[in-house]
Amino acid sequence: MKRQSGAHSLLEYSELVRNLTVKEFKLRYRNSVLGFIWSLLNPLAMMVILTLVFSTLFRAGIENFPVFLLPPLLAWRFFSISTSMSLSSILGNASLVTKVYFPRWLLVLSSNLANLIGSSLEFAVLFPLLIYMGMKVTVLTFFLPIILMFEFMLIIGISFILAALNVYYSDFNQIWDITLQLGFFLCPIIYGMGLIPERYLLVYSLNPMTRVIEAIRKILYHNVLPTLADFMIVLVSGLILVLAGYFIFSRLEPGFAEEI
Amino acid sequence: MTAIQVEDLWKKFKIPHEKRTTILENLAGVLQILDRERFSYEEFWALKDINFTVESGEFIGIIGENGSGKTTLLEIITRILRADKGKVTVKGKVAPILQLGVGFHPELTVKENVIIYGSIMGLKNKAIKRRMDSILQFAELERFKDAKLKNLSSGMQVRLGFSVAIETDPDIFLIDEALAVGDIDFQQKCIEQFKEFKSRHKTILFVSHALSLAKEFCEKTMLLSNGEIIEFGRTEEVINHYLNRARKP
Repeated sequence: MKRQSGAHSLLEYSELVRNLTVKEFKLRYRNSVLGFIWSLLNPLAMMVILTLVFSTLFRAGIENFPVFLLPPLLAWRFFSISTSMSLSSILGNASLVTKVYFPRWLLVLSSNLANLIGSSLEFAVLFPLLIYMGMKVTVLTFFLPIILMFEFMLIIGISFILAALNVYYSDFNQIWDITLQLGFFLCPIIYGMGLIPERYLLVYSLNPMTRVIEAIRKILYHNVLPTLADFMIVLVSGLILVLAGYFIFSRLEPGFAEEI
Repeated sequence: MTAIQVEDLWKKFKIPHEKRTTILENLAGVLQILDRERFSYEEFWALKDINFTVESGEFIGIIGENGSGKTTLLEIITRILRADKGKVTVKGKVAPILQLGVGFHPELTVKENVIIYGSIMGLKNKAIKRRMDSILQFAELERFKDAKLKNLSSGMQVRLGFSVAIETDPDIFLIDEALAVGDIDFQQKCIEQFKEFKSRHKTILFVSHALSLAKEFCEKTMLLSNGEIIEFGRTEEVINHYLNRARKP
């Protein structure tokens, strides 16, 4: 049977992608009174608790901890929520997948697009609060959307893999849950890179999510330009993940309807 | 012109003796650590060496016992399932109307579902909005347009599926027992619609146990049994054959 190439079907199905993204958004906040406000309360609550813990209990001595913490925390939320929701982007649409054909990867894309919009809104709404708490807005702030777009590539690539494998093995729900818990502490979200011993630094900083978080902190907290290495590591690993993810996904796709 | 060509099509299902869904279970199955019986499966050939051609404008009936492969055949033609072997060539836009609905999301409202389905079938949002009223009208669901799909009766869902599929104006319809759920009025409406399709030279594959419908509309009928085509020819003859087979002890 003839298969369409990815780019071709994206053009052809652009309105479908839009409709599916809107659908994701609607379903997420349906039957909820506060809706999107929950997406703001969650990181804010985390920020308050972690600030209390780290400035009074542990006395980490980080100046202006809320501004140090919140932007990386939002970037991590973008990553963790998008990837974990992608686990169900095929399974959760079983009623579509078993009844009608369309390129299945559009489901993964639209789930992630809904999260991209959600996270952008989180950043946008919490930005004034950050400025009020002492964050400086500089020319460098322009790099924030760029680094978030690079992060989006990481997310898409991983999501392809997770969405496809989860159809065959439900273990990936648990595996990914643990991975994210570890990842939260393995990335410099609640602490700075300075705490990492020198001999681990090379391995530690090869993690693209470390680079995303470091770059965002450099831009918004330290007000310095991220290094070229920061951008390149995220971009290159993003490209590799998207290609590998799409490859794995399209290999497994024909069996989805049968396995669901 | 050929609308559907199926060559040397084979489809296999695995019937597990117990379903495996975690990696550990699979590893155990591969390594045969645990007892063999529990993790083995049978192969079941749902379709065997299927070959046929449908010209555009033809109405084809597909009959056969339960489990003979009728639905599987339609699902492969629409690309929902993948064949293990063989080639399927389809020319034109296909609208499958499989049992109970056409690809709806239970948590979305009737209108939202129409929009999603319409865009899956390649309609632009503007076109869908323009046709919304006539879709709802044909399905007789104007009152329920903002109700969630899961709250509709099965008959209502089929009606919606049918009318939204019609409005996307496909070249080929694959209809699987969809009419059986609708009431008499709706069946009558669908039959009128079939007549119109016929005059507009649409192609239909029609799976049904309602042999009278097949007799009325299908010039040709295919009889499937155990995944094989037993007969594919003039409807009268094939149906008589089928009835004779059934009467045999």
